[in-house]
Amino acid sequence: MMKLEAIIQPSRFESVKDALREIGVEGMTVTEVRGHGRQKGHTEVYRGREYTVDLLPKIKLEMVLPDTLVNRVVDTILKSAKTGKIGDGKIFLSRVEEAIRIRNEERGENAL
Amino acid sequence: MQESPTPLSVLGPQADAERQKIRQQFEADTSVRETLQAICELADNHVRQIFGDVLRVQNREADGLCLLALGGYGRRMLFPYSDLDILFLFGSERTEQEFRPLISEFSRTLWDLGFRVSSAGRTIEECKRIEEDNAEFHLALLDRRFLAGDSTLFERLDEKVLPGSEKQARSFLLAQLHRLTRDRLTRYGNTIFHLEPNVKDSPGGMRDYQATIWLRQLAEEKKGIRNITAAEEEMCAAAVDFLSATRCFLHYTNGRNDNTLTYELQEAAAEHALGIGDGVARTPSDWMRQYFRHARTLNRQLLRYLEQKAPVPLTLRQRLLNAARAAKYDVGESKHFHGRDGLLEVTDLSALSDRAITYSLFAESARTGTPLSREAERSIGYVLIHPELPPKNTEMPWEKLREILGSDYPGLALRPMQRLGLLAEVLPEFGLIDSLVVRDFYHRYTVDEHTLRTIEHLQELADPPDERGAHFVQLWKTAERRDLLILALLLHDVGKGMPIENHVTGSLAALDSAARRLKLSPEERAEIQALIEHHLDMSATVQRRDIFDPATVAGFAESVTNQERLQRLCLLTYADIHAVNPEALTPWKAEMLWQLFVATSNYFSRTLDRDRLHAHDEVSLLGRIEAFASRGTTQEIERFLEGFPRRYLAVHSPEEIAAHFGLYRKLSEEPVQTQVAATRHGFALTLLTPDRPALFSTISGVLAGWGMNINKADAFANAAGIILDTFYFTDLHRTLELNPSEIARFRKSLEDVLNGKAALEPLLKGRERSLRGRTPKVTVATHIGFDDSSSAHCTLLEIITQDHPGLLYEMSSALARLGCNIEVALIDTEGHKAIDVFYLTAQGKKLTAQKQELLREVLQGTLG
Repeated sequence: MMKLEAIIQPSRFESVKDALREIGVEGMTVTEVRGHGRQKGHTEVYRGREYTVDLLPKIKLEMVLPDTLVNRVVDTILKSAKTGKIGDGKIFLSRVEEAIRIRNEERGENAL
Repeated sequence: MQESPTPLSVLGPQADAERQKIRQQFEADTSVRETLQAICELADNHVRQIFGDVLRVQNREADGLCLLALGGYGRRMLFPYSDLDILFLFGSERTEQEFRPLISEFSRTLWDLGFRVSSAGRTIEECKRIEEDNAEFHLALLDRRFLAGDSTLFERLDEKVLPGSEKQARSFLLAQLHRLTRDRLTRYGNTIFHLEPNVKDSPGGMRDYQATIWLRQLAEEKKGIRNITAAEEEMCAAAVDFLSATRCFLHYTNGRNDNTLTYELQEAAAEHALGIGDGVARTPSDWMRQYFRHARTLNRQLLRYLEQKAPVPLTLRQRLLNAARAAKYDVGESKHFHGRDGLLEVTDLSALSDRAITYSLFAESARTGTPLSREAERSIGYVLIHPELPPKNTEMPWEKLREILGSDYPGLALRPMQRLGLLAEVLPEFGLIDSLVVRDFYHRYTVDEHTLRTIEHLQELADPPDERGAHFVQLWKTAERRDLLILALLLHDVGKGMPIENHVTGSLAALDSAARRLKLSPEERAEIQALIEHHLDMSATVQRRDIFDPATVAGFAESVTNQERLQRLCLLTYADIHAVNPEALTPWKAEMLWQLFVATSNYFSRTLDRDRLHAHDEVSLLGRIEAFASRGTTQEIERFLEGFPRRYLAVHSPEEIAAHFGLYRKLSEEPVQTQVAATRHGFALTLLTPDRPALFSTISGVLAGWGMNINKADAFANAAGIILDTFYFTDLHRTLELNPSEIARFRKSLEDVLNGKAALEPLLKGRERSLRGRTPKVTVATHIGFDDSSSAHCTLLEIITQDHPGLLYEMSSALARLGCNIEVALIDTEGHKAIDVFYLTAQGKKLTAQKQELLREVLQGTLG
């Protein structure tokens, strides 16, 4: 099992969610986050006051996937989240040792 | 020989069979009162039997020990899976030690029989002391009932010990009860209108009833509180029966002490017409309306008792707030109501049959931020349901409704109006969403509650409770025509109460009927329509579009069309998200919303000259202006309008434009046409004339010379070079206000200066000292910015600086001296801050870099 974390543009979230649903991925954790990588923030002036947005709004998706599904999900996110502009985000993958469903204590991929 | 106790193997099945029988009878329509009574008797019988059994087994008498039922069990309101609250009362510490093994055995046996015992033990001495950290225990003790054991011990406690200690601790217990109740109500957002309410703990639930009983016991009803009427008692009893039946049903269905009325269980309850008794199945939403009606009765009763006697002294902040409200309230204004302790009270009950007076009371509440007392609300409710007081002036005219909606605290009036059913009377469309449950994963409240919360979140912006509102404070303070925004909010979700797929379509249909009835002007109706139509757009743009992409901002700005609407839409969106549930408006979303607002607002002020009117295409607008204009042909109106920035339409109504056109037609007789009118906050000067050098600065100079402080101004030019300037100013010395004849002299003075018949300098000379006289209370740093990219033909100059009388003259005359022509100007103030945008040209072109530098130096020198 792999844990996938994807940081994406908020504006791409609906498309990514729909695309994942199409390939059968429904479960995910979604968090509103702020941050920046190479994309820097920008400054807007309103009524003489500067509003600097140095931490840009992003959406973080987290999901744990069976190994067989990982590549498909990564491809789907890449296709649906990409605009080609700086700030499109990143995907991180890490190995997961175990998953346990609290309701019935199922373990492993069955618990996903 | 000792009699052996009945074995558990016999008692257990017996208890289960009896429980089953009670449940079957409840399900076969036995009244809930009988059901609760039966459950309580079952528990009492087993408690007594087991207690007797363990005494016999241990060969003891009960001297020095008795058992008391407390709380709901004490009141004989025991629900199927409720805990048995039992107090073991000991005569002394010694008996407590002696009986300890017996009590363990007793409790264990009851548990084994399926009774959940929640017990406490106290000696009679301990009961004399008030445990300050355990007010709940003392409150539960108010419902004490003898169960078993040493009855003389109970009598001592009940007749000798507790009456004295309870009297002594009354104020402490009252304060604690207030605190516990307020905390509970706050935990549930202070509303009964939850989509999946908890019938025990939510506002309007059984705990409200229990707390009311305790308050009545503690507050010594005869001394402090007006008795409730028989009709109120009856409503309350019906509400208790309904909620009790619901709670019983939940316990039985869930098989545990779970009091959440989930969507699934709402359906089942509606199917069985639970608590209604006629056996006719209801839709879940109809049944929930019944639920909320009863919950409202219990909650209203509780709040009334909570308000009767505040046991805790008011905080300094509360006292200051009350004093501030009292200062706003003019007692002389009405003999029918008055302010007391920060609340509005009714003085003359009989006057309330005149609805005009009742509506004035609401308007006063909304204007001053003074809530109605519960007693005042009750008085209005009393008059509403008593036919011997026939109502007069029942229709609320739009002017009065506007007054309420456009005030600083509209929610303070709308909330009690809704509770009393007056809101649905004034705005029947709102009745469609009364107590309406619409199921989704995000909303926590019924549709009407959500709607009222949107309005309350806006009025909270006067003093926002957390950082999420910080950006929006100024937007709320400076929003014009807030009445239109609030009416849009009241109607925005009304379509959810209609059997149609898209609720926005329904809400717009509701607006149609409301607009006709209230006789809204076409412009008012159009503005509300746009707000309802687009009420989801800003939220959707924030969440689904890249708001840092200029194309997104441009597209959004086009759909919004103007700055004023943007401001209202932003406030509406802020409130709409906020009222979904307490966590829906995250700081993240609030920031995104603000960023979109800022970007769009800047887009409007930087692209003002791009979007010009082509009057020939504006058929309906031309028609509306023609309807107001007394003379002139359509072609003439077209010529007048041609080339004005589209913003001109956003800031002036067709009626005003028709008046401008009237001035335009007179230009051939007199080249400078002026009009001065009083406004809510001062005066408005409209001036029409062919363009000429230094026009804007000359007008500003005359206004400064007359001691007028300009708060806001627009300067527009049409394709034929006719300038239309509007200045909104305050009359610092009240010259025009106190001497209306001076208005004519002021206009003549202005026209003479512009026509070269009089000089400006003598006018200004007398004012020079006063123009810069006072030291400002708040310092604003000067910001001067140029933008060459936003407009195709002009250089934009944005100046933010400390406001003072004569400022606009100083700036505009500096621009005129350097040969800059003002094509468009937007002048605004925000407290002590002047915020001005000028679209400038020099000899018909954008300003060169050198000119910009020179201008910056000159302005910095002038403004400091």
